Amino acid sequence: MGATHSASEEVRELEGKTGFSSDQIEQLHRRFKHLSGDQPTIRKENFNNIPDLELNPIRSKIVRAFFDNRNLRKGPSGLADEINFEDFLTIMSYFRPIDTTMDEEQVQLCRKEKLRFLFHMYDSDSDGRITLEEYRNVVEELLSGNPHIEKESARSIADGAMMEAASVCVGRMEPDQVYEGITFDDFLKIWQGIDIETKMHVRFLNMETIALCH
Amino acid sequence: MQPLSTACEVQGAWSDSAGPQWATLRMERGAKEKNHQLYKPYTNGIIAKDPTSLEEEIKEIRRSGSSKALDNTLEFELSDIFYFCRKGVETIMDDEVTKRFSAEELESWNLLSRTNYNFQYISLRLTVLWGLGVLIRYCFLLPLRIALAFTGISLLVVGTTVVGYLPNGRFKEFLSKHVHLMCYRICVRALTAIITYHDRKNRPRNGGICVANHTSPIDVIILASDGYYAMVGQVHGGLMGVIQRAMVKACPHVWFERSEVKDRHLVAKRLTEHVQDKSKLPILIFPEGTCINNTSVMMFKKGSFEIGATVYPVAIKYDPQFGDAFWNSSKYGMVTYLLRMMTSWAIVCSVWYLPPMTREAEEDAVQFANRVKSAIARQGGLVDLLWDGGLKREKVKDTFKEEQQKLYSKMIVGNHEDRSRS
Repeated sequence: MGATHSASEEVRELEGKTGFSSDQIEQLHRRFKHLSGDQPTIRKENFNNIPDLELNPIRSKIVRAFFDNRNLRKGPSGLADEINFEDFLTIMSYFRPIDTTMDEEQVQLCRKEKLRFLFHMYDSDSDGRITLEEYRNVVEELLSGNPHIEKESARSIADGAMMEAASVCVGRMEPDQVYEGITFDDFLKIWQGIDIETKMHVRFLNMETIALCH
Repeated sequence: MQPLSTACEVQGAWSDSAGPQWATLRMERGAKEKNHQLYKPYTNGIIAKDPTSLEEEIKEIRRSGSSKALDNTLEFELSDIFYFCRKGVETIMDDEVTKRFSAEELESWNLLSRTNYNFQYISLRLTVLWGLGVLIRYCFLLPLRIALAFTGISLLVVGTTVVGYLPNGRFKEFLSKHVHLMCYRICVRALTAIITYHDRKNRPRNGGICVANHTSPIDVIILASDGYYAMVGQVHGGLMGVIQRAMVKACPHVWFERSEVKDRHLVAKRLTEHVQDKSKLPILIFPEGTCINNTSVMMFKKGSFEIGATVYPVAIKYDPQFGDAFWNSSKYGMVTYLLRMMTSWAIVCSVWYLPPMTREAEEDAVQFANRVKSAIARQGGLVDLLWDGGLKREKVKDTFKEEQQKLYSKMIVGNHEDRSRS
């Protein structure tokens, strides 16, 4: 991004769309270029170079979230093959801290967006519900590193959790009623009143622009 | 296997480098008066990260999440995802390791366009200044430096070969030492390196091992111009090989054949033999094994710490205001790198000789290595990292990954059991 007129217009457009400041956009652009190896788009393989990310048990889900069409607002399901810088910023904007100057309605909106991002991480087949299978899948991934935990333990944790969800969301169930899965509204219900979305943000340091020689 | 670094180029300069030296002195004096830190620790990236541990953070999330009954399994599992999700995105935005392998970003421009990412046309005056700078650096300084470098290298080769013909004895040692020192000092001048040595009383002695953080091949010249070391390294071909063969005639350096480097025991054996002979010079080793960009110190390979000799740590910190000394070997070859060095304004650095350390009884080699590394990082104002410099070229070892995951899963299952018991 140089000093040409059209480039700074782009920056302003991105500022408007994603809410980042122009400094942050520039920093993120540099990071994007670093990850993509100076290409205009990033693919899944580009995330393999980050050593810290390798340690994360839900690494594949996080990377997948970057390419998820629902998060990119490009469609109801499916995965993109590659993302450009604007898409990268769109995903990153889910992790922006909640601005204290926003009014109540906007705060609720932000909160919903963040929780929806998380919901999409669980709901891998995009049917709008977190089924028992999908939940089990997540728990297994979280515990994947430990060889001593058998699949059975992971399953029982997942099953226990789903039963709790059923009781919270549906209340008392008839003996032959089948709980289909957690919908997004149920998901919101679970987290109602709990200020969990403040844990879902990344705080940017105040970056001074690189000053020229003084 | 411990990759070893080599003693490399030799350059020289008798030119009067009083100008930049005076400037540095003034800067340092000014900094002391205002009580500023001249080399301030590198600021950490673009995001503020909490230095809390995995366990603490998860406990916090769970605490904030469970305002209701304690055995709410669903919330616990769901909230753990928050932690890992955030951590993952943080590392994607900015991670500690990959940025160590490219040149440091400066906060203010040092009139070298190569270090300014945002180089753009700002004003006529600045551009003229910069243009003048280019003229001076390339047309005036560069030829001077190259001439001196040439003089220095030839002197080294010729001098050490001549000394090699003398019979072994004190006179030979004396001459050899002075030939080496003189040639390295010529090289230092060729780079216009302005070096401040601190605590010279702690300089390495015979029978010891000198370890330092590694930023570029120039480190060797900088250290060797102030002390007389035995170099350790691989045998190279070409000009390097010629220099190496000449040097070893005058005094016993330790050069390994490429095949020998792979054999860790052989390497350790030869180094031990060298160290045990008190008449032989201290060995110079860079345990990181690769060049790091001088903002951090990465994992020290334990090979040199297993030998059992006294370790003399040395911290080297370059001032980025005058030139970036980091050698990004994936981007630049050796010759390009040297040209860049010789066309910078100057290379300003500080060398601290730290007090000697020995391995304590309950320590193993790895802990000892980490202790030395922390001391060097603290003195130089560098970030102390546990990561392996080898990550420049390879991926994270699976064993390391598994350890972290084990820790996490232990916590979950532990909590789950507690809950089901209560």
